[in-house]
Amino acid sequence: MAHLRSSRVAFFSSCLFIASTIGAMAGEYNLTVDSLTLDTGEFSRSSIGYNGSTEPTTLRFKEGEEVTINVTNNLPVSTSVHWHGLILPFKQDGVPGISFDGIEPGQTFTYRFPIVQSGTYWFHSHSGFQEPDGAYGAIIIEPKRREPFRYDREYVVQLTDAHPHSGDRIMRNLKMMPDYYNRQQRTFFDFLDDVKTDGFGAALTDRRDWGEMRMMPTDVEDLQGFTPLINSKGPAQNWTGLFKPGERVRLRFINSSAMTYFDVRIPGLKMTVVQADGNNVQPVPVDEFRIAVAETYDVIVQPTEDKAFTIFAESMARTAYARGTLATRQGMDAAVPELRSPPLLTMADMGMSHAGMDHASMNHDMPERSEMDHATMGHVNTPEERAPATHTMPDGTVMPGAKHGGVDHASMNHSMPEQNEMDHTAHQTMAQPTDPFYAPGSGLSPSAANGGRFLSYADLKAQKPLYTDREATREIELRLTGNMERYSWSINGVKYDDSDPIRLQYGERVRFKFVNETMMTHPMHLHGMWSILDNGNGAWDPVKHVISVAPGTTVYSETEVDAPGEWAFHCHLSYHAESGMFRKIVVEGGPSEQSATTTEGMEG
Amino acid sequence: MSKISTSCGTIAILVTLTAPASISLADGANGHAHRASAETSSTPHASINAGKAGTADSSARTINISMNDNYYEPESVSVKAGETIRFVVQNNGDFVHEFNVGTSAMHTSHQSEMMMMVQHGVLRPNSINMEAAEAMQASMGHGMHDEPNSILLEPGQRGEVIWTFPASSDVEIEFACNVPGHYESGMLGHFSIN
Repeated sequence: MAHLRSSRVAFFSSCLFIASTIGAMAGEYNLTVDSLTLDTGEFSRSSIGYNGSTEPTTLRFKEGEEVTINVTNNLPVSTSVHWHGLILPFKQDGVPGISFDGIEPGQTFTYRFPIVQSGTYWFHSHSGFQEPDGAYGAIIIEPKRREPFRYDREYVVQLTDAHPHSGDRIMRNLKMMPDYYNRQQRTFFDFLDDVKTDGFGAALTDRRDWGEMRMMPTDVEDLQGFTPLINSKGPAQNWTGLFKPGERVRLRFINSSAMTYFDVRIPGLKMTVVQADGNNVQPVPVDEFRIAVAETYDVIVQPTEDKAFTIFAESMARTAYARGTLATRQGMDAAVPELRSPPLLTMADMGMSHAGMDHASMNHDMPERSEMDHATMGHVNTPEERAPATHTMPDGTVMPGAKHGGVDHASMNHSMPEQNEMDHTAHQTMAQPTDPFYAPGSGLSPSAANGGRFLSYADLKAQKPLYTDREATREIELRLTGNMERYSWSINGVKYDDSDPIRLQYGERVRFKFVNETMMTHPMHLHGMWSILDNGNGAWDPVKHVISVAPGTTVYSETEVDAPGEWAFHCHLSYHAESGMFRKIVVEGGPSEQSATTTEGMEG
Repeated sequence: MSKISTSCGTIAILVTLTAPASISLADGANGHAHRASAETSSTPHASINAGKAGTADSSARTINISMNDNYYEPESVSVKAGETIRFVVQNNGDFVHEFNVGTSAMHTSHQSEMMMMVQHGVLRPNSINMEAAEAMQASMGHGMHDEPNSILLEPGQRGEVIWTFPASSDVEIEFACNVPGHYESGMLGHFSIN
């Protein structure tokens, strides 16, 4: 509550500046970028925030409004503000070195752009590691038209992974020792356990394979030791949102983490997902969902009892959790669940299923489905797509003869048009089907804590398609590559510093093929233009700004190239982007007048 | 489309004007809580009488309901205790929607059946698959039946529900769409009974 109230005050006070502007639909907003101290309840550290608060600032815009945002840099270093997910002229996009030069200490930079969309978004610094250090906030855009859902109150639930170390220090440590922050190293005792279960030979072979890949089954999070926060509050500080029994409450989840995916649930409440990345989706009731770094999901819950409910967000590697509460009075709380046991990556997550590993990790779900996966695997592995008999490892070594576990979602969906029919003949009491956006046998395949429904990318269907569905005009393959041992991340094996821009033509529809050749999950973020996720729903394929690509999978997204200028395109894991998993996109052609002029004011 | 023909059978309520798939879901064999006249049900909530099927005589008041994505217009309706209303329901949305009169407990119990229809391929976002409905009926004994308190319409379709409200005004009755996710995200309206 305090969070929304304070932002509303900021909104009204900034409205005082509007007086002289033309028309009612123009708003002026002020942001200061400040050096602050963050107290997570577990540690304190210096941090960065907006408008003098470590609580994330919420900017509330209206669709159709022309906004003017004055950003004053009170830091001793250059800064920037990127409006994540907003469609705007490229010089307003806030990426130093691509859209503009950045905002120097003491300067005020004025952003001006029209608001052409609605929904939940966020903003953050695109300079150095200021975002992990706390430079992020929320954006809510009220739509012109009635929304396809209804609620009585709303809260932003902004997640982050606050670390006691500064972003700069973390990057130095990761470069020096990539497993510096991995506290889940496998021990000699784990090895003895495996020997007992699998026999000495198998356990040894398994260790040797992982060694050759220079990775570990526990490499789910390369940054651990953080404290997850909800709206800047640590688990003990317990951010609380109030409700009256029977009300529908809209929760706008935003993952502003540097590195951490969260699995989110509210024990005792069904969540109906109504929006993903700011765009309305056909409502999906779920028990739990995974939110990738930089994604947003809006859910509606309807608590009918006069009691407290815990918002529980476990990190994907189960090293920590964020916790907040929905309650009818301040000070109430509910039971906080235990962390579930950490997932272990399998060979499937390496994009190479060893025969012995598949069935072990697959038989908990649907054996029929996994057989279908095998059928489509042959389809994926066409010669022009990947060398059939060898596999290039992230560190450049070539491993011969491994069977590919990568699953091609598009072709898989196409090969199973009668999915529903198949389900009802085979399963009267069906378990949750395997999520097609994970490699068959992946250790990361999510399942709901209560055995219920876990949201899959495949469940996301646009409520109202933004673009007419049409064939892509060409395909661009982007292999997500890296060398964990040197903490070097790249696209098609080339780091940003050594790369040429990707050139797109205004008016074309490009199909991006993301082939994840690493064992990390990468949330790929294209600036300035939408990413239409190919999840087999045709005209209802959802429109997103982040496409998460799990290990050992290939995912497609399509983009209508409708925004001239130069844009960033990168993995949104802060330390992956910084170490090179980043590209510049140049859109050639198109109306030049769409590049709005920018103004730089005097000192603010 | 222009002329509404009213069927005058005893519980006859559903009139399909444009396409064959105007139907409602019910349990084939035994009465479930979602059945409108709730005398047959044993659950405590559903024993609240939500009213009963009405007959179409000329005295019934007509109320037009527009179903949109995903909300009704209007979202609240005032009726008199014991009054019979002829609801003319038009689906103006791009998705399948339901107009179902009942208590919130009746809607909740109906939602799991609607979810089953989705899982069986009967209910698709913008269409109803009658073949899949028949297969579901054959294999499980559940299927699609005319029910007096509800109507399920594809985009562009129009139909009617004729309903007699209970004589008592202390019942909370809602009209709701139980297509998965729709009720949960707010596709419902309230009756105020005077």
